[in-house]
Amino acid sequence: MKVGFLAGDGRTIRTGLLSAISRVASLGLEALREIFDESAYQRFLDRSRLESSATAYAIFQQENEQAKSSRPRCC
Amino acid sequence: MPKILRVLLWTAISLLGALALATIALHRGEQINALWLVVAAVSSYAVGYRFYSSFISAKVLALDPLRATPAERLNNGRDFLPTNKWVVFGHHFAAIAGPGPLVGPVLAAQFGYLPGTLWIIAGAVLGGCVQDFVILLFSVRRDGKSLTEMAKSEIGPTGGVVAYVAVIGIIVILLGATALIVVNALKSSPWGTFTIAMTMPIALLMGVYLRRIRPGRVLETSVLGFILVLAAIVGGQWVSETPAWAAVFTLTGPTLAMLIIVYGFAASSLPVWLLLAPRDYLSTFVKLGTISLLAVGIVALRPSLHMPPLTRFADGTGPVFAGTIFPFAFITIACGAISGFHSLISSGTTPKLIRRETETRLVGYGGMLAESMVAIMAMIAASILQPGVYFAVNSPAGIVGQAPEAAAAAITAWGFPVTAAQMATLAHAVGEQTLYNRTGGAPAFAVGMAQIFSNTLGGHALMALWYHFAIMFEALFILTIIDAGTRVGRFMLQDALGHIWKPLGRTSWYPSILFTSAAVVAAWGNFLWQGVKDPLGGINSLWPLFGICNQLLATVALCVATVIIVKTGRARYVLVTLLPLCWLVAVTFTASWHKVLDPNPRVGFLAHAGQLAAARANPRLIFNDRLDAAVTGVLSVMVALILIESGLECARIISGSKSAATKEAPFVMTRMAREEQL
Repeated sequence: MKVGFLAGDGRTIRTGLLSAISRVASLGLEALREIFDESAYQRFLDRSRLESSATAYAIFQQENEQAKSSRPRCC
Repeated sequence: MPKILRVLLWTAISLLGALALATIALHRGEQINALWLVVAAVSSYAVGYRFYSSFISAKVLALDPLRATPAERLNNGRDFLPTNKWVVFGHHFAAIAGPGPLVGPVLAAQFGYLPGTLWIIAGAVLGGCVQDFVILLFSVRRDGKSLTEMAKSEIGPTGGVVAYVAVIGIIVILLGATALIVVNALKSSPWGTFTIAMTMPIALLMGVYLRRIRPGRVLETSVLGFILVLAAIVGGQWVSETPAWAAVFTLTGPTLAMLIIVYGFAASSLPVWLLLAPRDYLSTFVKLGTISLLAVGIVALRPSLHMPPLTRFADGTGPVFAGTIFPFAFITIACGAISGFHSLISSGTTPKLIRRETETRLVGYGGMLAESMVAIMAMIAASILQPGVYFAVNSPAGIVGQAPEAAAAAITAWGFPVTAAQMATLAHAVGEQTLYNRTGGAPAFAVGMAQIFSNTLGGHALMALWYHFAIMFEALFILTIIDAGTRVGRFMLQDALGHIWKPLGRTSWYPSILFTSAAVVAAWGNFLWQGVKDPLGGINSLWPLFGICNQLLATVALCVATVIIVKTGRARYVLVTLLPLCWLVAVTFTASWHKVLDPNPRVGFLAHAGQLAAARANPRLIFNDRLDAAVTGVLSVMVALILIESGLECARIISGSKSAATKEAPFVMTRMAREEQL
């Protein structure tokens, strides 16, 4: 793909660009899901074999409260 | 890419950076475009990352891609978890980016844009990024140990105690100083106060939505919260134009300070998951979005800088804060150049997520470069203002007077023309009654940001909305820092008191929670109250104090790093951390000396106390000055102790009188390399 990309084949360039944009977007989304604890919640559900529900989320929040609130936030 | 092309590319980037730096440093008389600052910064960061961080990775730290990180070895799916490097980068950046890189450059702009810009670029590339990078790697090699634990194990017990006291000190002063910024931004501003007040019910709604309606859908909830906050900003205009409601939300500085103190205590002592967690998410969401928007706005608008490169206040007589460029510019801008607080993040959550040692370079060094870019944007936002407007907003009433005409005349007499009518028009445009004496940096930054945004999108008609959007953005994440910081301070205090009496160390025992929350809130609340009552605006005393504490913590972090480098047998590369360490020692100790002993009452705490005593002023004000002097003195002496202990430890190792044993976790081969090969 890289050779085709450099060779300047129009379709390859488009495909390469689209795939690069999609990779960046999915990485960005993954980062946001990590920053906003969505991934942590999913891992919690997987680990405890629970379905997502109000109760499961309450347990997750309780479990995370101490760790989360002892994290310093920078100036 | 062929080698010749690479060489040409990096030569071109270096030359472009040199040209941009020369332009901003040598240009006099005419205004320059803000893009020169952006080009100078981006080129310097690119060269620093490509060459300097690569040198540190290979020679100083010898990053080993085959060595398993604690995220892999201790993976528990919670704290320790191998995570994609870009995800960790985002996580790390969200944790280190706070109000510091926005406020510090705005305050330091009183010297002109040049000293601050050069310090932000050089300080980050040679100091701040290095500190964050090496501390992150050393923590990774010690199973994610914190800075205080590393100081204790690598330097000695004094190192641990000093690091602990410095951390507590910086948290307390940080909270007092940032709370003062919020007070100064919201006092007599019904629009801003209403918007911030509305974030509480919005957060409660988000909490209910997140827990009951769509459990775990934080991003979706944050988007909804953000839309509601935008509605609150629009509603704030109606409130400010409705006399009955405007009266309710027009609050004085002391009233706002009391409300923030009560909020801090409640946030720390009550199980308020319903309010705090959603506010935290909302704040992060707004922060990341606004910083990206500001970057786009600056590039799209390409504004001219009205502030001169150097102002007459390089002589130390500045109205925003008193003191000469050296050392005060270098402690005023901490977070955008080098910040000790970052070492707490680099030795906190981040090392437990690092998948491969080699990724610490992107996260540690690269994350700080991104933070430094935020500081450059803040410098641009302050420097696009007419200097007269900048000084009218940032000068305290104690210096320029309270009457608009008198203030405008005083600022014009300094050589920065501004009229009362011009300020009244600007205040009207941003929906405020007045913009005079808004010390603290946040309102000046908000005016600059509103100019950039309104010229990019919406025109003059949206100026007031953009201004209050900027105020909301700053106040929201400062309040998040206050509630998170108070809780962190409370946990640290409980941990320490638990050694004296065990029940006090139990984080779930309510009497202990109430006692330690009250103690932490009283500590930062005292500094906040002092700032609110200070006729010089408070920032003149509190921000330098905060800067000194922050840089002293960076001194501790660089001491730890230097000792570890010597212990690993790489003393020939010790200048990488020793040079920024020497610079910080020179800056912080000179600044401390001035703040305690300078005979000028606007600079020295003791001279100011003496002046107040001679005028038979309120004893409380005199006590505050003496307290500030004592805090500065005690921290300086403690850091001097850690410097001596580090120096002795290095000397013992280099002379061979002590074996160089570091406390690294034993080498374990990573499984990831093999998995990647398969």
